[in-house]
Amino acid sequence: MTSSSAPSRKALSKIACNRLQKELVEWQLNPPAGFKHKVTDNLQRWVIEVNGASGTLYTNETYQLQVDFPEHYPMEAPQVIFIPPAPLHPHIYSNGHICLDILYDSWSPAMTVSSICISILSMLSSSTAKQRPADNDRYVKNCRNGRSPKETRWWFHDDKV
Amino acid sequence: MASVEEEEEEVLLEVEAVESVYGEDCLVIQRFPPHLHLHIKPRTADDSSQQFVEAILELRAGTQYPDEPPRVGIRESKGLDEVRQAHLMASIKEKVDELSSCLMLIALCEEAVQVLSHMNHPDGDCPLCLYPLVKEDGHGNLLPFMKLMSCYHCFHSKCIIKWWNWIQQQSETDPISNASSTSSSYSRSRTDMRGTEKENQGTCPVCRKVFQATDIEHVLNLIKTYTPELSLEETEIDDDEEFQRAEVENIRRKNFEALLKLQEENNGLIKPRRNEVLLPGVFLPEPVTPPSISPKATAEQQTEPSFTPTSETGPSKPLNKGSTSARNNFRTRKNTMRNRRVRTTEWVKKENSTVE
Repeated sequence: MTSSSAPSRKALSKIACNRLQKELVEWQLNPPAGFKHKVTDNLQRWVIEVNGASGTLYTNETYQLQVDFPEHYPMEAPQVIFIPPAPLHPHIYSNGHICLDILYDSWSPAMTVSSICISILSMLSSSTAKQRPADNDRYVKNCRNGRSPKETRWWFHDDKV
Repeated sequence: MASVEEEEEEVLLEVEAVESVYGEDCLVIQRFPPHLHLHIKPRTADDSSQQFVEAILELRAGTQYPDEPPRVGIRESKGLDEVRQAHLMASIKEKVDELSSCLMLIALCEEAVQVLSHMNHPDGDCPLCLYPLVKEDGHGNLLPFMKLMSCYHCFHSKCIIKWWNWIQQQSETDPISNASSTSSSYSRSRTDMRGTEKENQGTCPVCRKVFQATDIEHVLNLIKTYTPELSLEETEIDDDEEFQRAEVENIRRKNFEALLKLQEENNGLIKPRRNEVLLPGVFLPEPVTPPSISPKATAEQQTEPSFTPTSETGPSKPLNKGSTSARNNFRTRKNTMRNRRVRTTEWVKKENSTVE
């Protein structure tokens, strides 16, 4: 899982710590349906199990999300990727990178891990074809030296899936 | 038949009365039977930055009004969750029952305003730090909060300021996103989203509504003042407490200033004759008694300026301000000078009364 090393990982700021602790408590009380967080003592990296919703293409499939928090979370978006094997989806690259605007340009500090998870599940659920993005090979090749998806300049062009 | 006309006349008069009481906040859709939209706000003495809730009520009466009660509903509301909306409606309903078959439009509106005034505080958690907006922080202090003027989303002042500084800082250090916006057909591009392209603009973290610097004007002073400290570095955390205190301090200072001015206008202040500013090391030549006032009056004056009950500060606090120079170092140097001068005056007075 070396590909997931985030760029220049700095320790969480105190604000980020407080906020994440709060989110963790909230998650434990009220986890989003279909997700399981394997709590570790590493607050800065969450590994979350995703269960495909029933009645969708991903029913009975389980994937793992890896969420890495930057120093200035929540001002800055967390890095969210699927740990390969990633689900086959028109917006999910085989290296686990997810093309979803809220993870990058449209991030807002009012979002939470929980709300991100729901967005990702919704993205999976609305998929009509199990396929990789058209530019998958090119993109993955470009990212081979462990580049973070946050360094990618994404084009968000599809509002259907 | 005459009585029917009379009744209609009375109802028309009532509508007119509502109009005159609420002015622009009242929209008359129809005079008879009355159909009104009423924009109700809590009583905050017209200080809109202190207003955290509002609603537009719809009142619709039938031809049988007032024998038949009017129907009342909430058309729109800001800052009110379902529970609080239900509470508002329940209170109005109660009033309707209480006043059955009387003319009640004005009473209902007043009731609504009353209820709204009681609920005039933000609800729930700050969307940024996820801690409650209105809750004691354990030290008996209320964390200062504010709302965005356009969408009424509320945040802790210090949280929104951090976000504001962050987006300002991003727009400075991220020239790529400024130079060319990604051509995204999906949603608005980065620069639009964050409002980083135009200076003094941001987006609400909750609803993404673009807000102008004027929207957060009521806390913007702090932003300007604290920008160097709020560089989002680790050290900033240590400043937090200082920072909050400073905000409280600012309000307190404002109150004190207002009070001082009032006293000044009423000739309730004894000012030193000459406009000398005392600097450390400067020697005050002779204790001077203000000529026209007796020592007794002086003693009275001493207590008056700062200890009026309207001031929410404790007696000793305004006087301390001059000494904590680190906090006063910004922007209000003039005030500090003034306060210092006042303090000195009082000190001189005290000296006088003991001498005589």
